[in-house]
Amino acid sequence: MILRRAGTYILLTAIALAFVGPFLILLSAGLKPADQAVFSFPPDVIPRPPVLDWVIEAWTAIPFPHYMWNSVIYVAITVPAYLIVSALCAYPLAQMRFRGRNLIFFAILSTMFLPGEVMLIPRFMVVSQLGMADTFAGVILPGILSAFGIFLLRQTFAGVPREIVDAARTDGCHELRIFWHVMLPAARPTLAILAIFGFISVWNSFLWPLVVLKDSAKYPIALGVAYLAGITGTDVRSLAAGTILSIVPVVVVFMLMQRHVLEGMRGAVKG
Amino acid sequence: MAATRMPGQRWYTPYLFALPALVLFGVFFAWPAVTAIQLSVLHYDVVSPPTFAGTDNFTRMLGDERFWKSLLNSVLFLVGMFPLLVVLPLLLAVLVNQKLPGIRTFRMLYYLPVVTSMVAVGVAWEYVFHQQGVLNWLLTAFGLLDQPIQYLLDPFWALPALVLVEGWKSMGFYMMIYLAGLQTIPTSLYEAAKVDGAGAWVRLRRITVPLMAPYIAVAFTMEMLDSMQAFTSIYVMTRGGPQDATLTLGYYIWSAAFEHYEMGYASAMGLVLWVLMIGMALLNHRINKGQAVVA
Repeated sequence: MILRRAGTYILLTAIALAFVGPFLILLSAGLKPADQAVFSFPPDVIPRPPVLDWVIEAWTAIPFPHYMWNSVIYVAITVPAYLIVSALCAYPLAQMRFRGRNLIFFAILSTMFLPGEVMLIPRFMVVSQLGMADTFAGVILPGILSAFGIFLLRQTFAGVPREIVDAARTDGCHELRIFWHVMLPAARPTLAILAIFGFISVWNSFLWPLVVLKDSAKYPIALGVAYLAGITGTDVRSLAAGTILSIVPVVVVFMLMQRHVLEGMRGAVKG
Repeated sequence: MAATRMPGQRWYTPYLFALPALVLFGVFFAWPAVTAIQLSVLHYDVVSPPTFAGTDNFTRMLGDERFWKSLLNSVLFLVGMFPLLVVLPLLLAVLVNQKLPGIRTFRMLYYLPVVTSMVAVGVAWEYVFHQQGVLNWLLTAFGLLDQPIQYLLDPFWALPALVLVEGWKSMGFYMMIYLAGLQTIPTSLYEAAKVDGAGAWVRLRRITVPLMAPYIAVAFTMEMLDSMQAFTSIYVMTRGGPQDATLTLGYYIWSAAFEHYEMGYASAMGLVLWVLMIGMALLNHRINKGQAVVA
Protein backbone atom coordinates (compact mmCIF):
# COMPACT_ATOMS: atom_id res chain seq x y z
CA MET A 1 0.00 0.00 0.00
CA ILE A 2 2.75 2.41 1.01
CA LEU A 3 4.79 1.22 -1.94
CA ARG A 4 1.87 1.86 -4.28
CA ARG A 5 1.40 5.31 -2.89
CA ALA A 6 5.10 6.08 -3.30
CA GLY A 7 4.83 4.88 -6.89
CA THR A 8 1.89 7.21 -7.49
CA TYR A 9 3.83 10.17 -6.14
CA ILE A 10 6.87 9.33 -8.25
CA LEU A 11 4.64 9.24 -11.34
CA LEU A 12 2.88 12.49 -10.36
CA THR A 13 6.23 14.20 -9.81
CA ALA A 14 7.72 12.95 -13.07
CA ILE A 15 4.74 14.31 -14.99
CA ALA A 16 4.91 17.59 -13.07
CA LEU A 17 8.54 17.87 -14.12
CA ALA A 18 7.51 17.46 -17.76
CA PHE A 19 5.08 20.37 -17.39
CA VAL A 20 7.30 22.68 -15.38
CA GLY A 21 10.68 21.60 -16.79
CA PRO A 22 10.76 23.89 -19.84
CA PHE A 23 10.08 26.90 -17.61
CA LEU A 24 12.80 25.79 -15.18
CA ILE A 25 15.23 25.52 -18.09
CA LEU A 26 14.37 29.10 -19.07
CA LEU A 27 14.77 30.26 -15.48
CA SER A 28 18.12 28.54 -15.21
CA ALA A 29 19.37 30.03 -18.49
CA GLY A 30 18.20 33.50 -17.47
CA LEU A 31 20.14 33.42 -14.22
CA LYS A 32 23.41 31.91 -15.48
CA PRO A 33 26.56 34.02 -15.49
CA ALA A 34 28.14 34.73 -18.89
CA ASP A 35 30.94 32.20 -18.41
CA GLN A 36 28.61 29.27 -17.74
CA ALA A 37 27.34 27.40 -20.80
CA VAL A 38 23.58 27.48 -21.35
CA PHE A 39 23.55 24.21 -23.28
CA SER A 40 25.66 21.19 -22.46
CA PHE A 41 25.61 17.40 -22.21
CA PRO A 42 24.73 16.59 -19.49
CA PRO A 43 22.64 19.68 -18.69
CA ASP A 44 24.17 21.98 -16.12
CA VAL A 45 21.13 23.69 -14.70
CA ILE A 46 22.24 25.27 -11.43
CA PRO A 47 23.53 28.79 -12.11
CA ARG A 48 26.89 29.36 -10.39
CA PRO A 49 26.26 31.93 -9.07
CA PRO A 50 22.80 33.18 -10.08
CA VAL A 51 23.09 36.68 -11.58
CA LEU A 52 20.52 39.31 -12.46
CA ASP A 53 22.58 40.78 -15.34
CA TRP A 54 20.31 39.25 -17.97
CA VAL A 55 17.12 40.37 -16.32
CA ILE A 56 18.51 43.90 -16.42
CA GLU A 57 19.66 43.47 -20.02
CA ALA A 58 16.24 42.20 -21.15
CA TRP A 59 14.64 45.04 -19.22
CA THR A 60 16.69 47.60 -21.16
CA ALA A 61 17.33 45.92 -24.55
CA ILE A 62 13.68 46.53 -25.47
CA PRO A 63 11.27 48.94 -23.73
CA PHE A 64 10.30 46.11 -21.43
CA PRO A 65 8.62 48.08 -18.63
CA HIS A 66 6.71 50.01 -21.27
CA TYR A 67 5.35 46.77 -22.82
CA MET A 68 4.41 45.49 -19.36
CA TRP A 69 2.59 48.77 -18.74
CA ASN A 70 0.78 48.49 -22.09
CA SER A 71 -0.41 45.02 -21.12
CA VAL A 72 -1.61 46.39 -17.77
CA ILE A 73 -3.64 49.01 -19.66
CA TYR A 74 -5.07 46.44 -22.09
CA VAL A 75 -6.14 44.28 -19.15
CA ALA A 76 -7.43 47.20 -17.07
CA ILE A 77 -9.74 48.35 -19.87
CA THR A 78 -10.72 45.09 -21.54
CA VAL A 79 -11.59 43.01 -18.48
CA PRO A 80 -14.02 45.43 -16.75
CA ALA A 81 -15.63 46.30 -20.09
CA TYR A 82 -16.02 42.61 -20.87
CA LEU A 83 -17.59 41.91 -17.47
CA ILE A 84 -20.05 44.80 -17.74
CA VAL A 85 -21.08 44.11 -21.34
CA SER A 86 -21.49 40.40 -20.63
CA ALA A 87 -23.49 40.96 -17.46
CA LEU A 88 -25.75 43.58 -19.04
CA CYS A 89 -26.54 41.27 -21.93
CA ALA A 90 -26.92 38.18 -19.73
CA TYR A 91 -29.46 39.74 -17.36
CA PRO A 92 -32.41 40.14 -19.77
CA LEU A 93 -31.56 36.81 -21.39
CA ALA A 94 -31.88 35.13 -18.01
CA GLN A 95 -34.68 37.03 -16.30
CA MET A 96 -36.88 38.81 -18.84
CA ARG A 97 -39.20 37.70 -21.57
CA PHE A 98 -39.18 39.74 -24.72
CA ARG A 99 -39.46 39.44 -28.43
CA GLY A 100 -36.20 38.46 -30.12
CA ARG A 101 -34.67 36.90 -27.03
CA ASN A 102 -33.86 33.69 -28.85
CA LEU A 103 -32.55 35.62 -31.83
CA ILE A 104 -30.13 37.57 -29.64
CA PHE A 105 -29.15 34.37 -27.91
CA PHE A 106 -28.35 32.64 -31.20
CA ALA A 107 -26.49 35.67 -32.51
CA ILE A 108 -24.22 35.51 -29.47
CA LEU A 109 -23.95 31.74 -29.86
CA SER A 110 -22.92 32.12 -33.49
CA THR A 111 -19.81 34.09 -32.49
CA MET A 112 -18.40 30.85 -31.15
CA PHE A 113 -18.44 29.58 -34.70
CA LEU A 114 -16.54 32.60 -36.03
CA PRO A 115 -13.08 31.82 -34.69
CA GLY A 116 -10.50 34.57 -34.46
CA GLU A 117 -8.31 33.11 -37.17
CA VAL A 118 -11.06 33.17 -39.77
CA MET A 119 -12.19 36.65 -38.77
CA LEU A 120 -8.66 38.02 -38.74
CA ILE A 121 -8.63 39.67 -42.17
CA PRO A 122 -12.21 40.98 -42.41
CA ARG A 123 -12.06 42.25 -38.85
CA PHE A 124 -8.80 44.01 -39.62
CA MET A 125 -10.54 45.62 -42.63
CA VAL A 126 -13.43 46.81 -40.48
CA VAL A 127 -11.11 48.14 -37.79
CA SER A 128 -9.10 49.98 -40.48
CA GLN A 129 -12.25 51.49 -41.98
CA LEU A 130 -13.21 52.73 -38.53
CA GLY A 131 -9.81 54.40 -38.31
CA MET A 132 -8.80 52.18 -35.42
CA ALA A 133 -5.85 50.39 -37.02
CA ASP A 134 -2.74 50.77 -34.91
CA THR A 135 -4.65 52.11 -31.90
CA PHE A 136 -5.41 50.84 -28.40
CA ALA A 137 -9.12 50.92 -29.27
CA GLY A 138 -8.50 48.67 -32.26
CA VAL A 139 -6.78 46.13 -30.03
CA ILE A 140 -9.35 46.32 -27.23
CA LEU A 141 -12.84 46.70 -28.71
CA PRO A 142 -13.10 43.49 -30.78
CA GLY A 143 -12.10 41.46 -27.70
CA ILE A 144 -14.87 42.65 -25.41
CA LEU A 145 -17.77 40.53 -26.64
CA SER A 146 -17.49 36.98 -25.36
CA ALA A 147 -20.08 34.27 -25.74
CA PHE A 148 -18.42 32.39 -22.90
CA GLY A 149 -18.90 35.25 -20.45
CA ILE A 150 -22.50 35.85 -21.47
CA PHE A 151 -23.38 32.16 -21.16
CA LEU A 152 -21.81 31.72 -17.78
CA LEU A 153 -23.48 34.85 -16.40
CA ARG A 154 -26.82 34.05 -17.95
CA GLN A 155 -26.71 30.73 -16.17
CA THR A 156 -25.78 32.35 -12.87
CA PHE A 157 -28.52 34.99 -13.18
CA ALA A 158 -31.07 32.33 -14.09
CA GLY A 159 -30.24 30.71 -10.74
CA VAL A 160 -31.42 33.79 -8.83
CA PRO A 161 -34.91 32.88 -7.55
CA ARG A 162 -37.65 34.55 -9.55
CA GLU A 163 -39.49 35.52 -6.39
CA ILE A 164 -36.65 37.79 -5.31
CA VAL A 165 -36.60 39.52 -8.69
CA ASP A 166 -40.39 39.81 -8.83
CA ALA A 167 -40.56 41.11 -5.26
CA ALA A 168 -38.02 43.77 -6.14
CA ARG A 169 -40.02 44.64 -9.25
CA THR A 170 -43.36 44.97 -7.43
CA ASP A 171 -41.61 47.18 -4.89
CA GLY A 172 -41.06 49.47 -7.85
CA CYS A 173 -37.37 48.80 -8.13
CA HIS A 174 -35.90 50.03 -11.38
CA GLU A 175 -34.41 47.24 -13.51
CA LEU A 176 -30.99 48.86 -13.35
CA ARG A 177 -31.18 48.79 -9.55
CA ILE A 178 -32.16 45.12 -9.55
CA PHE A 179 -29.26 44.45 -11.86
CA TRP A 180 -26.86 46.33 -9.65
CA HIS A 181 -28.09 45.37 -6.18
CA VAL A 182 -29.48 41.87 -6.71
CA MET A 183 -27.90 40.31 -9.79
CA LEU A 184 -24.30 41.44 -9.64
CA PRO A 185 -23.80 40.52 -5.95
CA ALA A 186 -25.35 37.11 -6.63
CA ALA A 187 -22.92 36.58 -9.50
CA ARG A 188 -19.80 37.64 -7.63
CA PRO A 189 -18.04 34.24 -7.81
CA THR A 190 -18.78 33.94 -11.54
CA LEU A 191 -17.54 37.47 -12.14
CA ALA A 192 -14.35 36.67 -10.25
CA ILE A 193 -13.71 33.62 -12.40
CA LEU A 194 -14.40 35.52 -15.62
CA ALA A 195 -12.10 38.32 -14.47
CA ILE A 196 -9.25 35.87 -13.87
CA PHE A 197 -9.77 34.14 -17.22
CA GLY A 198 -10.07 37.52 -18.91
CA PHE A 199 -6.85 38.72 -17.34
CA ILE A 200 -4.97 35.62 -18.45
CA SER A 201 -6.28 35.76 -21.99
CA VAL A 202 -5.67 39.50 -22.49
CA TRP A 203 -2.20 39.33 -20.96
CA ASN A 204 -1.29 36.48 -23.33
CA SER A 205 -3.00 37.84 -26.43
CA PHE A 206 -0.75 37.80 -29.44
CA LEU A 207 -2.27 37.29 -32.87
CA TRP A 208 -4.79 40.15 -32.88
CA PRO A 209 -2.40 42.81 -31.54
CA LEU A 210 0.18 41.54 -34.04
CA VAL A 211 -2.23 42.24 -36.88
CA VAL A 212 -3.61 45.57 -35.64
CA LEU A 213 -0.47 47.24 -34.36
CA LYS A 214 2.29 48.72 -36.51
CA ASP A 215 3.79 50.99 -33.88
CA SER A 216 5.87 48.91 -31.49
CA ALA A 217 5.30 51.48 -28.73
CA LYS A 218 1.80 50.03 -28.33
CA TYR A 219 2.88 46.38 -28.09
CA PRO A 220 1.56 44.22 -25.27
CA ILE A 221 4.21 42.16 -23.51
CA ALA A 222 3.68 38.94 -25.50
CA LEU A 223 4.48 40.84 -28.71
CA GLY A 224 7.39 42.47 -26.94
CA VAL A 225 8.87 39.08 -26.12
CA ALA A 226 8.38 37.85 -29.69
CA TYR A 227 10.09 41.04 -30.83
CA LEU A 228 12.99 40.40 -28.45
CA ALA A 229 13.22 36.81 -29.73
CA GLY A 230 13.31 38.10 -33.31
CA ILE A 231 16.20 40.51 -32.78
CA THR A 232 19.30 38.79 -34.07
CA GLY A 233 22.08 38.86 -31.54
CA THR A 234 19.80 38.70 -28.52
CA ASP A 235 21.72 36.64 -25.99
CA VAL A 236 19.96 33.36 -25.18
CA ARG A 237 20.31 34.23 -21.51
CA SER A 238 18.66 37.60 -21.79
CA LEU A 239 15.87 36.19 -23.97
CA ALA A 240 15.26 33.56 -21.29
CA ALA A 241 15.25 36.18 -18.55
CA GLY A 242 12.86 38.42 -20.46
CA THR A 243 10.50 35.55 -21.25
CA ILE A 244 10.34 34.46 -17.62
CA LEU A 245 9.74 38.05 -16.56
CA SER A 246 6.86 38.38 -19.02
CA ILE A 247 4.92 35.48 -17.50
CA VAL A 248 5.50 36.36 -13.84
CA PRO A 249 2.27 38.40 -13.41
CA VAL A 250 0.09 35.70 -14.91
CA VAL A 251 1.76 32.90 -13.00
CA VAL A 252 1.48 34.80 -9.71
CA VAL A 253 -2.21 35.57 -10.24
CA PHE A 254 -2.83 31.97 -11.24
CA MET A 255 -1.05 30.58 -8.18
CA LEU A 256 -2.96 32.89 -5.83
CA MET A 257 -6.29 32.21 -7.50
CA GLN A 258 -5.71 28.60 -8.59
CA ARG A 259 -8.62 27.29 -6.55
CA HIS A 260 -11.01 29.67 -8.31
CA VAL A 261 -9.53 29.00 -11.72
CA LEU A 262 -9.74 25.23 -11.47
CA GLU A 263 -13.14 25.22 -9.72
CA GLY A 264 -14.38 27.76 -12.24
CA MET A 265 -13.35 25.58 -15.13
CA ARG A 266 -15.26 22.72 -13.62
CA GLY A 267 -18.35 24.92 -13.23
CA ALA A 268 -18.04 26.08 -16.82
CA VAL A 269 -17.85 22.54 -18.15
CA LYS A 270 -20.88 21.44 -16.18
CA GLY A 271 -22.93 24.35 -17.50
CA MET B 1 -44.54 38.87 -23.07
CA ALA B 2 -46.44 41.85 -21.85
CA ALA B 3 -47.94 39.93 -18.94
CA THR B 4 -44.68 39.77 -17.03
CA ARG B 5 -43.77 43.38 -17.61
CA MET B 6 -43.37 45.13 -14.31
CA PRO B 7 -43.05 48.72 -13.15
CA GLY B 8 -39.69 50.09 -14.14
CA GLN B 9 -39.56 47.85 -17.18
CA ARG B 10 -40.63 49.41 -20.45
CA TRP B 11 -40.79 47.39 -23.63
CA TYR B 12 -37.33 48.55 -24.62
CA THR B 13 -35.63 47.81 -21.29
CA PRO B 14 -34.27 44.35 -22.25
CA TYR B 15 -32.93 45.72 -25.53
CA LEU B 16 -31.16 48.55 -23.74
CA PHE B 17 -29.43 46.04 -21.52
CA ALA B 18 -28.33 43.98 -24.51
CA LEU B 19 -27.42 47.02 -26.60
CA PRO B 20 -23.65 47.22 -25.93
CA ALA B 21 -23.26 43.52 -26.72
CA LEU B 22 -25.43 43.87 -29.84
CA VAL B 23 -23.40 46.83 -31.13
CA LEU B 24 -20.15 44.91 -30.63
CA PHE B 25 -21.72 41.91 -32.32
CA GLY B 26 -22.74 43.99 -35.31
CA VAL B 27 -19.44 45.80 -35.72
CA PHE B 28 -16.92 43.08 -34.93
CA PHE B 29 -18.74 39.90 -35.95
CA ALA B 30 -21.59 40.48 -38.39
CA TRP B 31 -19.95 43.20 -40.46
CA PRO B 32 -16.61 41.33 -40.78
CA ALA B 33 -18.47 38.12 -41.65
CA VAL B 34 -20.08 39.90 -44.60
CA THR B 35 -16.75 41.54 -45.47
CA ALA B 36 -15.06 38.13 -45.50
CA ILE B 37 -17.43 36.89 -48.17
CA GLN B 38 -17.05 40.08 -50.23
CA LEU B 39 -13.26 39.99 -50.02
CA SER B 40 -13.11 36.41 -51.20
CA VAL B 41 -14.35 37.43 -54.67
CA LEU B 42 -11.98 40.40 -54.96
CA HIS B 43 -8.37 41.03 -55.82
CA TYR B 44 -7.18 43.44 -53.16
CA ASP B 45 -3.61 44.37 -52.26
CA VAL B 46 -4.52 47.16 -49.78
CA VAL B 47 -2.68 49.79 -51.88
CA SER B 48 -4.74 49.90 -55.08
CA PRO B 49 -8.54 49.73 -55.12
CA PRO B 50 -10.06 46.24 -55.13
CA THR B 51 -11.09 44.65 -58.42
CA PHE B 52 -13.66 41.94 -58.97
CA ALA B 53 -12.11 38.51 -59.16
CA GLY B 54 -15.10 36.23 -59.52
CA THR B 55 -14.02 32.75 -58.59
CA ASP B 56 -10.33 33.43 -59.34
CA ASN B 57 -9.28 33.11 -55.72
CA PHE B 58 -10.95 29.75 -55.40
CA THR B 59 -9.63 28.32 -58.68
CA ARG B 60 -6.17 29.58 -57.72
CA MET B 61 -6.41 27.56 -54.52
CA LEU B 62 -6.96 24.36 -56.52
CA GLY B 63 -3.66 24.81 -58.32
CA ASP B 64 -1.71 26.21 -55.37
CA GLU B 65 0.66 23.56 -54.07
CA ARG B 66 1.34 25.53 -50.91
CA PHE B 67 -2.38 25.61 -50.15
CA TRP B 68 -2.62 21.82 -50.36
CA LYS B 69 0.56 21.46 -48.37
CA SER B 70 -0.82 23.74 -45.66
CA LEU B 71 -4.11 21.86 -45.62
CA LEU B 72 -2.24 18.58 -45.25
CA ASN B 73 -0.15 20.05 -42.42
CA SER B 74 -3.30 21.24 -40.65
CA VAL B 75 -4.76 17.76 -40.91
CA LEU B 76 -1.50 16.32 -39.56
CA PHE B 77 -1.78 18.76 -36.66
CA LEU B 78 -5.30 17.56 -36.02
CA VAL B 79 -4.28 13.91 -36.11
CA GLY B 80 -1.14 14.44 -34.05
CA MET B 81 -2.90 16.41 -31.35
CA PHE B 82 -5.59 13.75 -30.91
CA PRO B 83 -3.61 11.49 -28.58
CA LEU B 84 -2.18 14.52 -26.77
CA LEU B 85 -5.47 16.31 -26.14
CA VAL B 86 -8.17 13.64 -26.23
CA VAL B 87 -6.51 10.47 -24.90
CA LEU B 88 -3.66 11.43 -22.55
CA PRO B 89 -5.62 14.07 -20.59
CA LEU B 90 -8.19 11.42 -19.68
CA LEU B 91 -5.45 9.28 -18.16
CA LEU B 92 -4.03 12.35 -16.41
CA ALA B 93 -7.47 13.18 -15.04
CA VAL B 94 -7.86 9.66 -13.67
CA LEU B 95 -4.45 10.05 -12.04
CA VAL B 96 -5.22 13.40 -10.36
CA ASN B 97 -8.75 12.38 -9.41
CA GLN B 98 -7.37 10.37 -6.49
CA LYS B 99 -7.79 11.67 -2.98
CA LEU B 100 -4.18 12.20 -2.00
CA PRO B 101 -2.48 14.88 0.07
CA GLY B 102 -1.03 17.54 -2.23
CA ILE B 103 -3.01 16.46 -5.28
CA ARG B 104 -4.22 20.02 -5.85
CA THR B 105 -0.63 21.16 -6.24
CA PHE B 106 -0.06 18.60 -8.97
CA ARG B 107 -3.23 19.66 -10.78
CA MET B 108 -2.01 23.24 -10.61
CA LEU B 109 1.42 22.37 -11.99
CA TYR B 110 -0.13 20.43 -14.89
CA TYR B 111 -2.30 23.46 -15.63
CA LEU B 112 0.58 25.94 -15.56
CA PRO B 113 1.34 25.89 -19.32
CA VAL B 114 -2.33 26.68 -20.01
CA VAL B 115 -2.10 30.07 -18.35
CA THR B 116 1.25 31.11 -19.81
CA SER B 117 1.46 32.80 -23.19
CA MET B 118 2.17 30.72 -26.28
CA VAL B 119 5.05 33.07 -27.03
CA ALA B 120 6.74 32.23 -23.73
CA VAL B 121 5.99 28.53 -24.23
CA GLY B 122 7.47 28.66 -27.74
CA VAL B 123 10.65 30.31 -26.50
CA ALA B 124 10.95 27.80 -23.63
CA TRP B 125 10.66 24.85 -25.99
CA GLU B 126 13.30 26.29 -28.31
CA TYR B 127 15.69 25.75 -25.40
CA VAL B 128 14.40 22.20 -24.92
CA PHE B 129 14.77 21.42 -28.65
CA HIS B 130 18.24 22.97 -28.91
CA GLN B 131 20.91 20.79 -30.46
CA GLN B 132 22.65 20.70 -27.08
CA GLY B 133 19.36 20.90 -25.22
CA VAL B 134 17.79 18.64 -22.66
CA LEU B 135 15.69 16.60 -25.11
CA ASN B 136 18.66 15.58 -27.21
CA TRP B 137 20.61 14.82 -24.06
CA LEU B 138 17.84 12.58 -22.69
CA LEU B 139 17.39 10.71 -25.98
CA THR B 140 21.12 10.17 -26.53
CA ALA B 141 21.70 9.27 -22.88
CA PHE B 142 19.03 6.56 -23.12
CA GLY B 143 20.53 5.38 -26.40
CA LEU B 144 17.47 6.29 -28.47
CA LEU B 145 19.49 8.66 -30.64
CA ASP B 146 23.03 8.47 -31.96
CA GLN B 147 23.25 12.06 -33.07
CA PRO B 148 21.49 15.13 -31.66
CA ILE B 149 18.73 16.41 -33.95
CA GLN B 150 17.90 20.04 -34.71
CA TYR B 151 14.21 19.41 -34.44
CA LEU B 152 12.98 22.80 -35.61
CA LEU B 153 15.29 22.87 -38.63
CA ASP B 154 14.53 19.34 -39.74
CA PRO B 155 11.73 19.04 -42.36
CA PHE B 156 10.65 15.73 -40.87
CA TRP B 157 10.78 16.60 -37.17
CA ALA B 158 9.63 20.23 -37.17
CA LEU B 159 5.91 19.46 -37.44
CA PRO B 160 5.86 16.73 -34.77
CA ALA B 161 7.88 19.06 -32.53
CA LEU B 162 5.27 21.81 -32.88
CA VAL B 163 2.44 19.35 -32.32
CA LEU B 164 4.17 18.30 -29.11
CA VAL B 165 4.46 21.91 -27.95
CA GLU B 166 0.85 22.81 -28.75
CA GLY B 167 -0.40 19.61 -27.14
CA TRP B 168 1.77 20.06 -24.06
CA LYS B 169 0.47 23.59 -23.58
CA SER B 170 -3.23 22.67 -23.64
CA MET B 171 -3.13 19.24 -21.99
CA GLY B 172 -3.94 20.62 -18.55
CA PHE B 173 -7.04 22.33 -19.90
CA TYR B 174 -8.42 19.10 -21.33
CA MET B 175 -7.46 17.29 -18.14
CA MET B 176 -9.67 19.68 -16.17
CA ILE B 177 -12.60 19.05 -18.52
CA TYR B 178 -12.25 15.33 -17.90
CA LEU B 179 -11.75 15.84 -14.19
CA ALA B 180 -15.10 17.65 -14.04
CA GLY B 181 -16.67 14.61 -15.68
CA LEU B 182 -14.91 12.07 -13.50
CA GLN B 183 -16.19 13.73 -10.38
CA THR B 184 -19.75 13.00 -11.47
CA ILE B 185 -19.09 9.24 -11.49
CA PRO B 186 -20.09 7.73 -8.14
CA THR B 187 -17.15 6.04 -6.43
CA SER B 188 -19.48 3.20 -5.42
CA LEU B 189 -19.33 1.99 -9.04
CA TYR B 190 -15.58 1.53 -8.79
CA GLU B 191 -15.84 -0.10 -5.39
CA ALA B 192 -18.41 -2.60 -6.65
CA ALA B 193 -16.17 -3.39 -9.62
CA LYS B 194 -13.22 -3.87 -7.29
CA VAL B 195 -15.21 -6.30 -5.18
CA ASP B 196 -15.96 -8.21 -8.35
CA GLY B 197 -12.24 -8.41 -8.98
CA ALA B 198 -11.95 -5.92 -11.85
CA GLY B 199 -8.42 -4.56 -12.27
CA ALA B 200 -7.51 -0.93 -12.98
CA TRP B 201 -7.51 -1.45 -16.77
CA VAL B 202 -10.90 -3.15 -16.79
CA ARG B 203 -12.35 -0.42 -14.59
CA LEU B 204 -11.02 2.20 -17.00
CA ARG B 205 -12.39 0.38 -20.05
CA ARG B 206 -15.75 -0.65 -18.61
CA ILE B 207 -16.68 2.23 -16.32
CA THR B 208 -14.64 5.35 -16.98
CA VAL B 209 -14.56 5.46 -20.77
CA PRO B 210 -18.28 4.69 -21.36
CA LEU B 211 -19.44 7.14 -18.70
CA MET B 212 -17.03 9.75 -19.98
CA ALA B 213 -18.20 9.45 -23.59
CA PRO B 214 -19.93 12.85 -23.65
CA TYR B 215 -16.81 14.54 -22.30
CA ILE B 216 -14.63 12.72 -24.79
CA ALA B 217 -16.92 14.01 -27.55
CA VAL B 218 -16.54 17.57 -26.29
CA ALA B 219 -12.78 17.20 -26.00
CA PHE B 220 -12.63 15.86 -29.54
CA THR B 221 -14.62 18.77 -30.98
CA MET B 222 -12.45 21.27 -29.14
CA GLU B 223 -9.29 19.46 -30.21
CA MET B 224 -10.30 19.73 -33.87
CA LEU B 225 -11.04 23.42 -33.62
CA ASP B 226 -7.89 24.13 -31.58
CA SER B 227 -5.57 22.25 -33.87
CA MET B 228 -6.96 23.92 -36.99
CA GLN B 229 -6.10 27.28 -35.46
CA ALA B 230 -2.50 26.67 -34.38
CA PHE B 231 -0.60 29.85 -35.16
CA THR B 232 1.52 31.44 -32.44
CA SER B 233 3.79 28.44 -31.88
CA ILE B 234 4.53 28.39 -35.59
CA TYR B 235 5.11 32.13 -35.72
CA VAL B 236 7.54 32.01 -32.80
CA MET B 237 9.36 28.77 -33.55
CA THR B 238 9.49 28.01 -37.29
CA ARG B 239 7.67 30.66 -39.35
CA GLY B 240 6.17 27.85 -41.41
CA GLY B 241 9.55 26.38 -42.33
CA PRO B 242 11.73 24.52 -42.96
CA GLN B 243 10.60 24.11 -46.59
CA ASP B 244 6.97 24.73 -45.60
CA ALA B 245 7.09 21.69 -43.31
CA THR B 246 5.10 23.55 -40.64
CA LEU B 247 3.03 25.75 -42.93
CA THR B 248 -0.52 25.27 -41.63
CA LEU B 249 -3.63 26.71 -43.20
CA GLY B 250 -3.91 29.29 -40.43
CA TYR B 251 -0.34 30.41 -40.86
CA TYR B 252 -0.60 30.51 -44.65
CA ILE B 253 -3.70 32.71 -44.41
CA TRP B 254 -1.95 35.13 -42.09
CA SER B 255 1.14 35.18 -44.26
CA ALA B 256 -0.81 35.71 -47.50
CA ALA B 257 -2.75 38.58 -45.94
CA PHE B 258 -0.21 40.40 -43.84
CA GLU B 259 3.12 39.55 -45.46
CA HIS B 260 2.03 39.48 -49.12
CA TYR B 261 -1.09 41.67 -48.88
CA GLU B 262 -3.23 39.30 -50.90
CA MET B 263 -6.34 40.05 -48.92
CA GLY B 264 -8.76 38.49 -51.39
CA TYR B 265 -6.90 35.23 -51.72
CA ALA B 266 -6.29 35.02 -47.98
CA SER B 267 -9.99 35.66 -47.30
CA ALA B 268 -11.00 32.93 -49.71
CA MET B 269 -8.71 30.52 -47.86
CA GLY B 270 -10.16 31.78 -44.58
CA LEU B 271 -13.63 30.86 -45.81
CA VAL B 272 -12.41 27.38 -46.68
CA LEU B 273 -10.93 27.04 -43.19
CA TRP B 274 -14.21 28.23 -41.71
CA VAL B 275 -16.30 25.78 -43.73
CA LEU B 276 -13.93 22.98 -42.73
CA MET B 277 -14.22 23.82 -39.06
CA ILE B 278 -17.99 24.13 -39.11
CA GLY B 279 -18.21 20.90 -41.07
CA MET B 280 -16.07 19.05 -38.56
CA ALA B 281 -18.00 20.43 -35.61
CA LEU B 282 -21.30 19.40 -37.20
CA LEU B 283 -20.01 15.98 -38.15
CA ASN B 284 -18.79 15.39 -34.65
CA HIS B 285 -22.07 16.62 -33.23
CA ARG B 286 -23.93 14.18 -35.45
CA ILE B 287 -21.77 11.27 -34.41
CA ASN B 288 -22.20 12.06 -30.75
CA LYS B 289 -25.79 13.18 -30.97
CA GLY B 290 -27.36 13.74 -27.61
CA GLN B 291 -24.12 13.19 -25.77
CA ALA B 292 -22.54 16.61 -25.73
CA VAL B 293 -22.74 18.32 -22.39
CA VAL B 294 -21.29 21.68 -23.32
CA ALA B 295 -22.58 23.96 -26.01
